[in-house]
Amino acid sequence: MSPAGSAPGAGAGATGAGATGAAEITLAFDQATVDLDALQRSAYAVAAEMTVDIRVRGADYVCTLFPRKHDGAVEELKHRFRAEVNDQILRVRIAKETEPLRNLVFALAFSRTGLVEAEGPG
Amino acid sequence: MKLERAATALPRHGWQLLPLRFHRLDADSVVLTNLAGEHVFVTPDELGAVVDGTCADQELLARLRAAHLIQVPGERLPAELLAIKLRTRMQRLPDSTGLHIFVVTLRCEHTCRYCQVSRQSAAKNEFDMTEQTARRALELVFRSPSPQLKIEFQGGEPLLNFPLVRWITTEANRINKEHGKDLAFVIATNLALLDEEILGFCAEEQIHISTSLDGPQDLHNSNRRRPGRDSWQQAVTGIRRVQERLGADRVSALMTTTEASLGRAAEIIDTYAELGLHGVFLRPISPYGFALRGRGGANYDVGRWLEFYAAGLDQIVALNRQGVPMVEMYASIIAKKMLTNADPGYVDLTSPAGIGIGALVYNYDGDIYASDEGRMLAEMGDRTFRLGNVHGSSYADIMLSDALLNPLTESITLSAPMCATCAFEPYCGADPVFHHTTTGDFTGHKALSAFCRRNMGVFTLLLRKMRDDPYFRDLLWRWAQ
Repeated sequence: MSPAGSAPGAGAGATGAGATGAAEITLAFDQATVDLDALQRSAYAVAAEMTVDIRVRGADYVCTLFPRKHDGAVEELKHRFRAEVNDQILRVRIAKETEPLRNLVFALAFSRTGLVEAEGPG
Repeated sequence: MKLERAATALPRHGWQLLPLRFHRLDADSVVLTNLAGEHVFVTPDELGAVVDGTCADQELLARLRAAHLIQVPGERLPAELLAIKLRTRMQRLPDSTGLHIFVVTLRCEHTCRYCQVSRQSAAKNEFDMTEQTARRALELVFRSPSPQLKIEFQGGEPLLNFPLVRWITTEANRINKEHGKDLAFVIATNLALLDEEILGFCAEEQIHISTSLDGPQDLHNSNRRRPGRDSWQQAVTGIRRVQERLGADRVSALMTTTEASLGRAAEIIDTYAELGLHGVFLRPISPYGFALRGRGGANYDVGRWLEFYAAGLDQIVALNRQGVPMVEMYASIIAKKMLTNADPGYVDLTSPAGIGIGALVYNYDGDIYASDEGRMLAEMGDRTFRLGNVHGSSYADIMLSDALLNPLTESITLSAPMCATCAFEPYCGADPVFHHTTTGDFTGHKALSAFCRRNMGVFTLLLRKMRDDPYFRDLLWRWAQ
């Protein structure tokens, strides 16, 4: 997988028809390469442009995109979501790799403030 | 040079990532920031290579290492340095509260379109703070651990209750003889009531004057209405009198952006320059008070405000290039956060939020609010940010109240969705009052937040300009000092 480059395991396609009759916009992501956390963060980050429904189907997470504006730019919407997922995958990966160092820095930063002692009895 | 590079070259897998965050500025450029907000520009391919561990560009690796974005495994110094920088940025937390706002009256002789508090007739002195209330508020002011205390007089128009301004200033100076704080005073006034007695007192007590100037005469008078339609003339005359009597650095002005301001950024800034004012704060209208009641000039979105801001910044840079010193105050606050380890303590751009910790407001009736915006919200009927009353609440009651601690803990950016992984988190703030007002909860939904869009827009603009324009980068460095 190349998280900064091409889409990670994203199958794609406009499939089926929703209850409203409009074609559903779906993207499938391989569970082996994409964390659910990254997908959920992506759904949050694009909320101004679309809402996203995430479901498990076989070995995939299937994301259904619901655009807030119906201007027909389906491919652009899918690019936008895939790009966001790529970035969130990177962020999750960086956060996991650096978590011990992050905790160390915060521990060092706050261990010498005197705040802990100040919170003593009384 | 070759020897140095050979000696410090980092082999593949000879380095590891430190905690970093990134933001794509455009198709060809990404900014990386460390825990303390120091930044480096890279390309998208370089970002991928750095995270994948395949980067072999020694010059880039050296820059990343210098900015504490990567380190050699086992090194202790980068974590220590980052910790010191973080601790420096958080220094204000144990040193709360620096700013104390006294609303000495709600009365005002202006009827500004966007006024954020209820206007009261200039004759109704039941809206004046009493000496008894002010005395109790001063006791609370001096409970603050902060070594620097600033008392700001607001209204309404505070000069309508000038005897109390005089009394509070004298009394605070008397009390401070026991405390030895670095004590300063500011009067936020429209200057229409300025006279020789007030000027003399301000000169004697070294009081700073903060006024409102929305730009050219027609724009200012359209926004800021008073009998005689001469608000601009009064403000300009007052600014000149203060400059002559107290000194040029003792008066500053703030503008508020209404819809009518949007195409006039250059004119607004030129008005400031012509008056010898060397700073302008390009402020969007606040979502409080009359601004939201359909006639306050708030009918524009974040995108239009950002266009206005960018045009204003261009004009300010152009003036500086011509040798006319001019600072955009919001950019200078952000520059300090981007380029130094100091925290300017600007209430809107801090996390934990600046409410209570950075500022406390004592209303005319003795009610205490966590911020000026919290007080304005109360005037609209929402008392969420009321922390108590000077006559019945102790310092502990106020600072440990749920009304303060709940919004502080719920809005902290290091744990807020999207903020926690945002490259601009070290520059930004929580602003629970804005999010409570606009969305009903203290955190808000950042993807939908006008606060987030506005600040992301400003951070991105400043970083792009720094990346592309060495003159602007130098200018921002100077503003940061």
